[in-house]
Amino acid sequence: MIIRNFGVRHGRRVLAAPLSRSCLRTLSSSSTRPATTPTTFAEPATAAPTTTQAYAAAQAAARQAELARIPANFAEYSHQREHTRNVGSRVESRYHPDQMLLDPPHDASLEMLMAAQVHMGHHVSQWNPANQRYIYGERAGIHIISLETTATHLRRAARVVEEVAYYGGLILFVGNRKEHMPVVVRAAELAQGYHLFQKWTPGAITNRDVILANGELQIVNELDQPIDGFGKHLRDRRPVMPDLVVCLNPLENYPLLHECGVATIPTIGIIDTDADPTWVTYQIPGNDDSLRSVTLIAGILGRAGQRGQQRRLADANEGIVTWSTPNDVAKFIERDAAEKARNVAKSAEGPVDEPTLTREDFLTDEELLAELSDGPRPPQGP
Amino acid sequence: MASVQLRLRGVSKSLNGRARQPLEQQFQSLRLTTPIVDGRRCLSTEADQTERPSSITAAPEVDLRQLAKRYKIAQNARPLPVSRSYFTRTPIFNDRYLALDHLAKTYSNLPVIPAADADRVSWKTLADLRQSFGEPVKATDYVKCLTIIKRLHTIHPELKPDAVTAALQDFKRDVQAFLNVANPIPIDKFGRALGVGKRKSSTARAFVVEGDGQVLVNGKTLADYFGRIHDRESAVWALHSTNRIDKYNVWARVEGGGTTGQAEALTLAIAKALLAHEPALKPALRRAGCVTRDPRRVERKKHGRVKARKGPTWVKR
Repeated sequence: MIIRNFGVRHGRRVLAAPLSRSCLRTLSSSSTRPATTPTTFAEPATAAPTTTQAYAAAQAAARQAELARIPANFAEYSHQREHTRNVGSRVESRYHPDQMLLDPPHDASLEMLMAAQVHMGHHVSQWNPANQRYIYGERAGIHIISLETTATHLRRAARVVEEVAYYGGLILFVGNRKEHMPVVVRAAELAQGYHLFQKWTPGAITNRDVILANGELQIVNELDQPIDGFGKHLRDRRPVMPDLVVCLNPLENYPLLHECGVATIPTIGIIDTDADPTWVTYQIPGNDDSLRSVTLIAGILGRAGQRGQQRRLADANEGIVTWSTPNDVAKFIERDAAEKARNVAKSAEGPVDEPTLTREDFLTDEELLAELSDGPRPPQGP
Repeated sequence: MASVQLRLRGVSKSLNGRARQPLEQQFQSLRLTTPIVDGRRCLSTEADQTERPSSITAAPEVDLRQLAKRYKIAQNARPLPVSRSYFTRTPIFNDRYLALDHLAKTYSNLPVIPAADADRVSWKTLADLRQSFGEPVKATDYVKCLTIIKRLHTIHPELKPDAVTAALQDFKRDVQAFLNVANPIPIDKFGRALGVGKRKSSTARAFVVEGDGQVLVNGKTLADYFGRIHDRESAVWALHSTNRIDKYNVWARVEGGGTTGQAEALTLAIAKALLAHEPALKPALRRAGCVTRDPRRVERKKHGRVKARKGPTWVKR
């Protein structure tokens, strides 16, 4: 029975299978092959493709045709959308998750702050007693931050940002938790400041000659237009420092805040109930763990910076410059001007009428010897 | 003094005077020709100018500082960083990354094609990126960036904005390996296709022409050239496995190596030339193992070893 089953199972496959390659190889060899009669070339190079190949080619062609239709379909879709946009009811005020990011308010009401979870602190066991005056109370095991205090501190910080921007300071927005990137980028964009959404490089202030050596600088005038002619100065000058640092998560940025303290750079920070308020110059008591809270606070500060920049440029257009040229730049301008004045004076004098000396004007060795021998000797020392 | 006339090398002749002049002549220039008269030529330091007031009021001295003020480049100037990412470790990369992020958001509604249908592009590796930007880009940031790049790359080519193409350019490798295509082997006016094959240290060139199955290797027939039947088989295996042995003639030149290497170099050479005649045979030839070059070579001998890997016999003492 076993043998019969085997025959049933494998007999068909054995019959269907071609002779294996190794068998062919052993059976035939070109040396043993008789000289064949010259045959015409049976299969031309353009042989009809097999069904598999034809199928694959058809598939590929269909796919290409489908891809080629995409632009037309998209154009039609866009057209339809454009023409049906005004059809139907219109929702006036709807929630947009990115609203605070795209269009932040100029000032925060207490409702706004509460809606953004700014009032929520940490678990009571984690509090830093230095924050006692910012804490309203305790609920469900967590501290509740007093939003009146937050609002006043936020306004003060916004005022600081605005004035620093007005007086032409560099504002650095720092937020290096994972989701902070769009927040700090947007705030820096509004305030025409700078952003940091990665780890702070320790020493980028105190050791900036090394760390920021490759950072590209430009010299601008009161209208923020780049000025040419400072190439030599830009090559030689030191890197710049920020004039104000806004830190959205001070707890993770101890090295940065320490350096700011060393370099006497004022700082603004969101102080949660577990943070140390003495690390920053201007505290904003609030929740630094909620993305909504951080977005709102950064947006308001960014808006403040935007106002400051606008005021500064408006004044500059009227001829009021709110900042003074830094000493190193001023020194370079003076030296450069003096050098140019000297060059102009020199060229005004014209070329000095002195014939250039040639080789014939000098004595040769023989002549020199002759002169020395027949001329009187100089008086020798005692 | 005229007596002190030391002439040294380097002192101009014109200064010294070639011929010695008489003393009077030397003092000629010192002689006062014009007599001192009243008025302007009086250079006395005595305060007699009040008595004789000058007719000209001389201009004040030139104030170089005032003069220099005219040449100031700018009245107000301050340094500003060019990049908003100035205070980060990787300003160039961050700027590019933010620009790509912005593009991806702006053009998120454009239709995309499957990644398999997009052009094959070799993107810069992390090491390439670090070298080209000169910044210590982190691997996680690179991965995030590459995700955006690949998404932007799959936008339908006809609808892809120029800004996207330009932004992606910085992340492409300088040498695009996928653009390299092998030159097709031509068939010359005699109907010959020349294929070149290598194996071990042998090189074979095979001219394959339509014919009746004659094979000449270095001027000899296959049986004369290869003593081993297996080698004869190997040499024409490309023709054999595709049943073309009586349809082509082969004239081959083989150099280097031993018999096995030469036979298998011939396999590859004939297969390549055969593919020039009949490209549709490629799957069959690949299945027969005739298309791929075998890259193995003799392994070099190492010091401390008898051969490449064989250790010397070890005796305890």
